[in-house]
Amino acid sequence: MRSLHSRLLLAASLVLAGFLGATGLALDKAFRVSAEAAMQDRLQSHIYALLAAADEDDNGRMTPPQELPEPRFSKPDSGLYAVITSGNGKPLWHSTSLTGRNINVTEQQMPGKRHFSRLARSGMQLYALALGVAWEDDAGTEALYTFTVAEDTTVFQTEIDSFRSTLWRWLGGMALVLLLAQGVILRWGLRPLRTVSNDLQQIEKGRADRLDGHYPRELTGLTSSLNSLIEHSKAVQIRYRNSLDDLAHSLKTPLAILQSSPPDSSRNPDTSHALVREQVERMDEIISHQLQRAAVSGRTTLAKPVSVGKVVERLVRSLDKVYREKQLTVNLELDPSASFTGDEADLTEVLGNLLENAYKYCHRAVRVCVRTGPHTDGVEISIEDDGPGIAADQVDTVLQRGKRMDESIPGQGLGLSMASEIITVYGGQLAFAVSPLGGTLLRVSFRD
Amino acid sequence: MHILVVEDETRLREQLRDRLRDSGYVVEVAADGEEGLYYGEEYPLDLAIIDLGLPKLSGIELIRRLRSRDRHFPILILTARGNWQDKVDGLETGADDYLVKPFRFEELEARLNALLRRASGWSKPVLDCGPISLDTGKQSITVSGNAVELTAFEYRVLEYLMLHAGEVISKTELTDNLYEQDFDRDSNVLEVFIGRLRRKLDPDNTISPIETLRGRGYRFRLEANAG
Repeated sequence: MRSLHSRLLLAASLVLAGFLGATGLALDKAFRVSAEAAMQDRLQSHIYALLAAADEDDNGRMTPPQELPEPRFSKPDSGLYAVITSGNGKPLWHSTSLTGRNINVTEQQMPGKRHFSRLARSGMQLYALALGVAWEDDAGTEALYTFTVAEDTTVFQTEIDSFRSTLWRWLGGMALVLLLAQGVILRWGLRPLRTVSNDLQQIEKGRADRLDGHYPRELTGLTSSLNSLIEHSKAVQIRYRNSLDDLAHSLKTPLAILQSSPPDSSRNPDTSHALVREQVERMDEIISHQLQRAAVSGRTTLAKPVSVGKVVERLVRSLDKVYREKQLTVNLELDPSASFTGDEADLTEVLGNLLENAYKYCHRAVRVCVRTGPHTDGVEISIEDDGPGIAADQVDTVLQRGKRMDESIPGQGLGLSMASEIITVYGGQLAFAVSPLGGTLLRVSFRD
Repeated sequence: MHILVVEDETRLREQLRDRLRDSGYVVEVAADGEEGLYYGEEYPLDLAIIDLGLPKLSGIELIRRLRSRDRHFPILILTARGNWQDKVDGLETGADDYLVKPFRFEELEARLNALLRRASGWSKPVLDCGPISLDTGKQSITVSGNAVELTAFEYRVLEYLMLHAGEVISKTELTDNLYEQDFDRDSNVLEVFIGRLRRKLDPDNTISPIETLRGRGYRFRLEANAG
């Protein structure tokens, strides 16, 4: 059951079938009950008519009716029968219609009591109503009789059958119409989903860049997320490609230097060794720089916010361990609500590099502030130390270091330029200033 | 000093083993995490160098297990990835320092020395005891300001004694920490080295920095200078 459409269709059809089926059964039962009640009424009125037709003899005793109110009583096998039994169960009289047949009425009814039942007698299905009657003669003695009128069910059954066939025809027709309507509604309702999936296929085939159609409100969240994912993956791809290009190109220089070094290294082993080491280190720097640059995830709409304070605390705990010997004072002012929307690894990389520089170059003190609020649009992280600081004219050189490998500043790692690049990818800012502590103050800000 | 190197790259592992041995350390090597765990638990180590990307048992997991089994020797992690997430994970698990591959051996040795010194309770890189001053960074010795030339092995003997200044170090302990396992323990090589050290440090026999406690071992007699 992979398709949403067939799932909905199946579920709705089952519900519909169940509903119509139950309706049919209920109507059928209701009709049957009311038909039986009508039958009972009819039989009762026959009994009353028989009673009315019954005569009295001279002593006031009951004599069976001579002229029957209903012609069907007189016609053999008419389907309507009457039997009168006396109080001891002895048959006294039966209607002409019953000639040649026999309905044994064994059960006697007390006067005023009636009993409605369904009987199967001599191959006939009958509905029978029995009524107990007390007949007082002139002498004042009461004689008990049971009047039983029975009607063949065939007529009744025919009525029921015709009702049933009408009922199920209608219900079936309605089910068909409803199913068709439902199918159409489903197709129409799910059409935007099919549109999105077709549009996605267009993107996969390279015929479109993004989801540009008009989609219903419920889908715009999905489509805009998809669009930003597509853009993000494109940006990552471009970054990979650029990094790979840069990597290949920038590795060529040290390789060329190594290749063109004098073949006979035994003449001057020290120089040769130093050259190899220098170029190997340069290549290592190039590789780690480009790798890290390519690994930056960049901002995605799906990223969950990362607590900046927690990342700073983790890094500070780790760096405290490594720089335990310096016995420095680290001052943290962390706004616990400050968060960064992006990849935690990227934030860790930025802050790790900046913090490590501060730990490395400080004299005794490092201060980290994480702020949010009305004055800063987003989150602002400042890291300062009491070290020698970076001269204003060197800032650019330091930041460019990762990009242009031909210069190198002794003692300055790649960290700063790496951090700066990641910040740029996230559209953030990195600013340098002189700290009141005496050293460098680095201010990183990310907008929301 | 007894050092464990856990590194799966054979070439690098052998290089480290050879160079550390040349520097006078006793070195055990393991090629994967499980072997590393065995050495870490069974040997009296002073320090472990653990690569993060190990087969069978990752470096992080190895550190976690060692720490959970009360192994408190310093751990230096080696990582090829060099990203902060890895470094922080390693340090939080219980490592004490990290080094990103590739690295210079000198850098590794400097980190080792710092970790060993710190583990022995010395906070500064220079151990000063009376007139004797041992610089663990430069691996150089001065007595009353005059440089003294020591071989790598003599340097390790002196460093071990000075890191444990004031404590009695048995011959077995010293041997275990200075020789490989298969070294001939019965020979009097150690006495010869101690004798040479005494002559080099104290040619006039005025400060007698190392005393012999008969049947118990040696003790570096001079106390650490304050400050």
